[in-house]
Amino acid sequence: MSNHQILNPADHGGLRVHTGAGAAYGDNVMACLTMPAEFREVQAHFPIVFRRDAETGKFAALALFGFEAGENLFLNGGTWDARYRPMALAVQPFLIGRPSADDAAPQVHVDMDHPRISATGEGMRVFDEAGVPTPWLEAIATRLGDLDHAWRESTAFFAALEAYELVEPFSLEVTLDSGSIQSLVGFQTIHEGRFAALDGDALHTLMAEGHLLRITMVLASLSQFGSLVARKNAREAGG
Amino acid sequence: MSKSVQQIVIVGGGTAGWLAACLLAAKLPGHSVTLVEAPDIPTIGVGEGTWPTMRETLATIGIPEAEFLREASAAFKQGSRFDGWADGAATDSYLHPFTAPLPAEMRELAAAWQAGGRAMPFAAAITPQHAICVQNLAPRQRAMPDYAGALNYGYHLDAGKFAALLMRHATGRLGVTRIAAEVTGVVAAQNGDIAALELRDRPPVAGDLFLDCSGQSAILIGGHCGAGWVDRSDVSFNDRALAVQVPVAPGSPLASQTIGTAHEAGWLWDIGLPTRRGIGCVYSARFLSDERAAEILRAYVAAKVPGTDPASLKPRKLAFATGHRDRFWVGNCLAVGLSAGFIEPLEASAIVLIELSLKALAENFPQTRESMAIHAARFNEVFRYRWDRIVEFLKLHYVLSTRTEPYWLAQRAPASIPPRLTECLALWQDQAPSAWDLPRVDEMFPAASQQYVLYGMGFPVPLAGASPATAASPSGTARLGDISAKARALAAALPANRDYFTALAAQDAPRAAQGA
Repeated sequence: MSNHQILNPADHGGLRVHTGAGAAYGDNVMACLTMPAEFREVQAHFPIVFRRDAETGKFAALALFGFEAGENLFLNGGTWDARYRPMALAVQPFLIGRPSADDAAPQVHVDMDHPRISATGEGMRVFDEAGVPTPWLEAIATRLGDLDHAWRESTAFFAALEAYELVEPFSLEVTLDSGSIQSLVGFQTIHEGRFAALDGDALHTLMAEGHLLRITMVLASLSQFGSLVARKNAREAGG
Repeated sequence: MSKSVQQIVIVGGGTAGWLAACLLAAKLPGHSVTLVEAPDIPTIGVGEGTWPTMRETLATIGIPEAEFLREASAAFKQGSRFDGWADGAATDSYLHPFTAPLPAEMRELAAAWQAGGRAMPFAAAITPQHAICVQNLAPRQRAMPDYAGALNYGYHLDAGKFAALLMRHATGRLGVTRIAAEVTGVVAAQNGDIAALELRDRPPVAGDLFLDCSGQSAILIGGHCGAGWVDRSDVSFNDRALAVQVPVAPGSPLASQTIGTAHEAGWLWDIGLPTRRGIGCVYSARFLSDERAAEILRAYVAAKVPGTDPASLKPRKLAFATGHRDRFWVGNCLAVGLSAGFIEPLEASAIVLIELSLKALAENFPQTRESMAIHAARFNEVFRYRWDRIVEFLKLHYVLSTRTEPYWLAQRAPASIPPRLTECLALWQDQAPSAWDLPRVDEMFPAASQQYVLYGMGFPVPLAGASPATAASPSGTARLGDISAKARALAAALPANRDYFTALAAQDAPRAAQGA
């Protein structure tokens, strides 16, 4: 359900947006999109996995917060229990809108049906009394620009992974403290063996194009599965 | 034989008495606290503005902020706005907000503001709080921890409900004993101390330390203890008030500053609570008749609270003596609240003086009767100093006016101005108020407060003979830019006062339904 509108002071002069964390604001998700440009920050907290879009056949990267739909082990009531929020989550309920001509300037859109839209007068204002964007909206707009740029450049990253056949399906099965088995299927990750076997030319090309560091960040992020399991165990133990 | 001080007996159950009971019970475990209040004496109920100190007080006595806001029908107070005090023109208005820049920064900011041509009000230039007050925004978000804010704030409250909340908290959670009885006399000890209080139809109640919170009647400090009265009406003229409570429309804007509007012979207070506005006309009986005061009050309500029928208002008349005791602590009896004194309600010094008195007592609590005389002498010296500073600071609001009514001319008569204030005003032509003028710990009105009033009233910022540090510096101008950016950011983040209290009520509703 969504209701996208072009953000403007005439229609959204009094708009306020909830900026806190919480299931009521739509944070109860097991994953969100993440961009190669932010892999360094993301891998410090969350596992990064890939998923191929069934319709377009294109890859996208996800930061994982839980093991099943609706489960976010980094959401602790009203607290976001990590020092980073991936860009795609941090810009909600805003989106980049692009008029039909592809080179036209992007616009800020807002999803007026998003649970972050405040109806109580609390939350962050988007425009001030005079209809001028608030510093907060300016920061959001900058972030949206960053996200848009990161999204566009991610195409080259996944193209490189496919060119060197570095993506492989992966599944995870762990036994929790409670004895129950938690599994994760349908995702892809870096094929570590093929990556290790790349020759000097390939490595040089990946490095020159800026992909090499990001590949290693994805590999490093897999160690976060351990902490994700620990969070799951702690949550089950806590009731 | 040293006798330890164990039993504290408080007389009077208004704001002063119940705040004393709560604070002493919370801070002095192991002592017994008893409060005696006559069953049918209504509280004065004009002390409806607090200072930011109230947040620490409430946190200390252990009342959650949401409970306090709900039970005392309280709202936020971020300062006081003064309309019409300088010259009475329509644009004559300034704010004395609770948030001040760092003392070290004040001089540079004031100079930069003046160098910039005083393009905006002084308070607007040097603190983001001005912009927040203008837009009727709250100083905090509901998600913040209790008693924390983005800006400094106190409260507007319903004094009757507040005393009732404190009573429930004191007796229900803090182990205070309440005796509902009239005090009919004092049983004196051989050394002149109060040994016990005689009560109507009840046995006497004995104690080691007695707090007189009996209000203007001052039955212990003025009665048995015989402390003298220092009249300050030669400086502070106001001695009457007419008070009304005006209901407000649901959803109407809620201000978070006390609005003080000058009139021909005094001023009007306007205090916004979620459900009503408390409005009062303060005046001097020497200069204004009660009838004229009632007219002024009705005209104000008609102009400021549309939809109210001014004829329906039945103002309550209050008369108060202006002054204070010559000693506040005599023997084993300490006066707290109106029994200690009262200077008009301007700048809401009544409740904060209660808090300061109790802080001084609790942090210097006499362990034995022997040390009490030393504590009493110190207390009397400190509070005499504080009353003098209050009298001077309130007078400052009048002496810079250019209004020409007889009352205002009389306020500026040199003989009515305390010599120390006259001296300060002479110095402040050359140098801005600083800690040199107000050097004590816990000064009630520090240099920043003096500057808010001085420069709000149009007094020039001293630049003559300025060292480079006092001329407008690039960093001062840059800081003014930072402050205005901060104001914009805060205005985006803070909810309107009205929306805050609507959301708070909605948050409470399910709980109330559970009967919790």
